[in-house]
Amino acid sequence: MKKKLWVILLVVAMIAGLGVAAVAEEGVTDTEIHIGQWGPQTGPAAAWGSVARGTDAYFKMINDQGGIHGRKLIHHMFDDAYNPAKTMAGVKELQEGTGMFAWVSGVGTAPGLAVKDYLMERKIPWVGPSAGSQHWITPPQKNLFAVYPLYYIEAQALCRYAVNNLGKKRIAMAYQNDDYGKNGLQGATEELARLGLKLVASVPVEITDTDVKPHVMELKNSDADVVLLWTSVSHAVRLVGTSAAMQFKPQFMSTSTCSDFPLMIHISKGLWAGVIAATFGELPDSTDPLLQKYKKEAFDKFAAKDERWGLFYYAGILFAEPLVEGLKRVGRDLTREKLVQTMEGLSNFKGIGGSISYKPFDPKDPMSRQGMKEVFLVQCEADGKGKKLTDWMEIK
Amino acid sequence: MDMKRDYYEDVQLFTSGVAVFWFGLLIVFLAAFPFLFKNYYVYVANYMAINVIVAIGLNLLVGYTGQISLGHAGFFAIGAYGTLIFMTKLHLPFLVALPAAALVAALFGLLLGLPALRLEGPYLSIATLGFGLTITQVIGRINLFGGRQGLHAPELWIGPWHLDSDRDFYYLLMTLTVILALGARNLVKTRVGRAFIAIRDADIAAETIGVNLMLYKSMAFAVSAFYAGIAGGLYAFVLRFIEPEIFTLLMSILFLAMVVVGGLGSIFGAITGACLLSWLDLQLRNILSIPYVGDWLEALSKSYFSITGVSNIQFIIFGLIMVLIMLFEPYGIFGFWIRTKKYWKTWPF
Repeated sequence: MKKKLWVILLVVAMIAGLGVAAVAEEGVTDTEIHIGQWGPQTGPAAAWGSVARGTDAYFKMINDQGGIHGRKLIHHMFDDAYNPAKTMAGVKELQEGTGMFAWVSGVGTAPGLAVKDYLMERKIPWVGPSAGSQHWITPPQKNLFAVYPLYYIEAQALCRYAVNNLGKKRIAMAYQNDDYGKNGLQGATEELARLGLKLVASVPVEITDTDVKPHVMELKNSDADVVLLWTSVSHAVRLVGTSAAMQFKPQFMSTSTCSDFPLMIHISKGLWAGVIAATFGELPDSTDPLLQKYKKEAFDKFAAKDERWGLFYYAGILFAEPLVEGLKRVGRDLTREKLVQTMEGLSNFKGIGGSISYKPFDPKDPMSRQGMKEVFLVQCEADGKGKKLTDWMEIK
Repeated sequence: MDMKRDYYEDVQLFTSGVAVFWFGLLIVFLAAFPFLFKNYYVYVANYMAINVIVAIGLNLLVGYTGQISLGHAGFFAIGAYGTLIFMTKLHLPFLVALPAAALVAALFGLLLGLPALRLEGPYLSIATLGFGLTITQVIGRINLFGGRQGLHAPELWIGPWHLDSDRDFYYLLMTLTVILALGARNLVKTRVGRAFIAIRDADIAAETIGVNLMLYKSMAFAVSAFYAGIAGGLYAFVLRFIEPEIFTLLMSILFLAMVVVGGLGSIFGAITGACLLSWLDLQLRNILSIPYVGDWLEALSKSYFSITGVSNIQFIIFGLIMVLIMLFEPYGIFGFWIRTKKYWKTWPF
């Protein structure tokens, strides 16, 4: 009789245990929250690998300070070498093997687009894809929260500054012939139309172009006094260098992707001085207390020995901040649905970037899932430092 | 031991009852695979199957005909883009769009095969390399193909069957892979296959006995491109998103490596080579999580190769494995298989 009782008790306990296991959210235990991220550490985009490493240090800092409501953030990061097939493999392996609660950042448009449907169909939150593509919000997805300000907002801000503050009228643009470049082109065209102007030249640059003399010649012939550079870092440097060699000296302006000034000064051998760029994160030597805190408590403590404190590194923190804020606000009873609801309530949240706000999900409003709409402008000085030209400005 | 006494003995698909048995077992295993393993491995199997199709096709060209190609990523891209364009713009069903796109790839293969008649070895590899690089450039500049923004794959329907999971797609993919593998095996046993092999062994001798070099060399390119085209079309649905930058030179080189590592001039070799390299390609990023060895490799990487130790080591291991295979088994995995077979047949002598 006693034996039977034990068996019954055991069965009841097991069923109860199963019940609890079924209710608990995937990727969350009593002590852990599992977050996934990919980032190229090798391959053509390895320079952006520091984004994922920045997030890693940030999570370690949070864990060091006690975690979030008693839970540690377990960061699963893998190298996809910027190859979408590998991104897909890694995401599936982690999602179906370990079970991620949410995904954060993830560098690159193509790798991100390859896994977007997979994550969205499973209703897994994904915060801060690390590319300013419009694909993330057109159409908006309930579980996808974009952070990176759109490239066209940056182009608008630069055009507005060139016309209103510098009094320039002849603006030209060299843009990479892809999603990124065309996005900037659209922003510049729209903003100039609003100001009653037109681009005096728009020159497409292919990723594989090695000689940019014809491009510079076209820009020079247009007699432009401002040239917007919406290209890769290497092309931007080449364009500025070739222009100097060809005695063409307009005011160059560029995007956040080329706003890591110490790096730009180094590879352009000083020619980047004077260039104005839009940027979405505080400057590396800013006195912003939060940025200083991250430098001291995340970077100094947890970064690898030879790691550099630069924009890409703390961009990894910037993209993850809204997710961490969301997790904090949800509280101890953490589910994906609650996280999404809480994130929708973020309004004017301020980290080390511009202020971030989301709205309740509206399939017709892309801006309901676009967090940051602010940038500020900064000018590169000869020693690689940045001079702040404007405060945060929101483009509407 | 393997003496053939009759022509029909040479052309039959299976050489013995044992072969039929193992083939049957393989089919049963493939059918049960998605139920035995986690979904992630189903995705890996899909990725492998696609590479197997390309490798079989490339082996017909490199291994059987002796023509080298470093431009197969180009045919692969044509297949991928062609399938999506035929489906979204012309509204063709998948099962029509896929072979149609592969035929377009075959047509390009045929065109590339013509200049290849006068080229050999390193000259031919440079010509095909140029083709591979050109194709992605051209695709990137045409707005119909989405330019550099790429294309999204539409929902996949075959009749009433909606393929929306890796598992559904797996069955379609495996069926096609088995059909194409058997097709290639049949092809090399026919007159055409013999002509290919004759050209590889001695093209002038082949011509003197009546093999039309122009016809068969360009046919080898066309057939090989057709296989790559089919694989490309399927790849577009595995990723569900394609853009020109995916189809890089590195991809072409990886395809060639699969064939060489597997064993030139053998269908079995192409299959095993493709499986092994695809597996390594996807799995080596986990190398650092192997107990003890991983820690040691990470320390090594940190001190010499990268500041974080998360990465570069996988490419070094990948290269090392390939070098070792070539060094100790020049005929690739197929050579290893043949030696093992011989060893057991004569065992214990």
